[in-house]
Amino acid sequence: MSPLRAAAADLQRWSAGAQPTFSLPNTTGANVALEAGRDHVVLVHFFATWCEPCREELPALNRLAARAGGNVKVLAIAVADADQRVQRFFEATPVDFPILLDRDRAVAKAWNVATLPTTFVLDASLHPRFVVETDFAWDTIDPGKLTGSFAVGADGSTSIKNASNR
Amino acid sequence: MHRREFLKAGVALAFAAELPTLARADTNFDPTPGTWRNFQVATRLEIAQPTGVSQAWIPLPSVNQKDWIKSSDSQWTTNGKATLARDPHYGAEMLHVAWTASEQPPVVEVTSRIATQDRAVDLTRPGKPAIDLAAADRKFNTTGTELIPVDGIVKQMSDKITAGKTTEIEKVHTIYEWVVENTFRDAKVRGCGIGDIASMLKTGNLGGKCADLNALFVGLVRAAGIPARDVYGIRVAPSKFGFKALGTGSEVITKAQHCRAEVFLTGYGWVATDPADVRKVVLEEPPTNLAIDDPKVAAARKTLFGAWEGNWLAYNFAHDIALPGSTGPKLAFLMYPQGETGNARLDCLDADNFKYIIKSKELAAA
Repeated sequence: MSPLRAAAADLQRWSAGAQPTFSLPNTTGANVALEAGRDHVVLVHFFATWCEPCREELPALNRLAARAGGNVKVLAIAVADADQRVQRFFEATPVDFPILLDRDRAVAKAWNVATLPTTFVLDASLHPRFVVETDFAWDTIDPGKLTGSFAVGADGSTSIKNASNR
Repeated sequence: MHRREFLKAGVALAFAAELPTLARADTNFDPTPGTWRNFQVATRLEIAQPTGVSQAWIPLPSVNQKDWIKSSDSQWTTNGKATLARDPHYGAEMLHVAWTASEQPPVVEVTSRIATQDRAVDLTRPGKPAIDLAAADRKFNTTGTELIPVDGIVKQMSDKITAGKTTEIEKVHTIYEWVVENTFRDAKVRGCGIGDIASMLKTGNLGGKCADLNALFVGLVRAAGIPARDVYGIRVAPSKFGFKALGTGSEVITKAQHCRAEVFLTGYGWVATDPADVRKVVLEEPPTNLAIDDPKVAAARKTLFGAWEGNWLAYNFAHDIALPGSTGPKLAFLMYPQGETGNARLDCLDADNFKYIIKSKELAAA
């Protein structure tokens, strides 16, 4: 795997309130609802197959979810990507989390996603806690840091840094 | 506003001020109207792996502008049900073909004829005030689209780039120079790019291809209140001026789609521009990775503000197109053949597996 960019951004604390719920078809045509992730930390990850950093980040998200052992769920949302293109991509790069198709950008727009990739970290009540509007070095983060970080730190920190920034 | 973008804007403005004194480039790149060329473009499309009912939509040349392009009728043969469809907002025409599950394999062949010629306008001559755009057309061509907003960060950047400029030509030329100076052609981008210009400005990643770079140009110009439009099409012949990057390499033009841009300058009309092709010359023209002051780049940069070569056909000006008969999403633009099978949208950029092939042939003058 190529190294993730050393300048990868940090997870920024989210303060803009709740995001709308959604239900989208996955690559096999079944609908998957955000609500299915309740009681877990959920990473809602917006991406596109044409987006180069996304292509490296998806396997890293898969490894993160595996390391978290079921405590972190990933919902990856392909934004305005052709169905066939998404299917072919994940045939070559399989992941264990659901891939949802936001064909008309409706969810991306509702969540005010301006760039790809963008990832939101939601707490167990599905309230957004962090956001990163670029690729993030998921291999550098302890999953426990995500699940246990929803209170502002004693030092008043408002972000989670990836190890490459240290 | 990113600090880096602000700084780059400043550099571009300073550079633009120097332009009138630039020496004429050594390389001859001088498109001149006067010789019409006739082309036949044939598309063969087959749904390679149909799963039930299938549909396809093939863009047809539907731009008719008396000074540079005439689109004739298209003809087709198919084992499906074909319908000529027209987008109600932009007039973009396409052939819509529907196949039942029993019609195997789904195939269509479409042949279109066009005539085109070089374009060039001398912007140093005084314009004719009578040449103006109707209010409704002016509004239509200064309004944002789904991926080309004209407010927010696009408006902010447009204002910054054009600060201190007063005339339409000054503003548009300054934006053109800013795009040439600050963007780059990214060979890794699939197809012609996506054209999400607000995302480009927000991330500061100004790399892309024609659908990105020229869309950014169009959005910045529209945000300055000046009419502009993308023109989606395909290259049909080599460049007679010797630019390998600005023409086709063979009769097979399956991946030769290219979009250009026009701006409406009062007194001059719709004016040809193509800043994305300047960046293509920088990246691809042999020996490749040319310096910005290379004579070939200088020639392209000077010429492609006001002119372009007639070795390209225009399909349409359309954005946010709903494909008739599809429940799938709108297209940001219609430049590639589109298809669906089993209600799943095919990958229009994967011509070999989709599959389709497009060929071009120059015809003898009529």
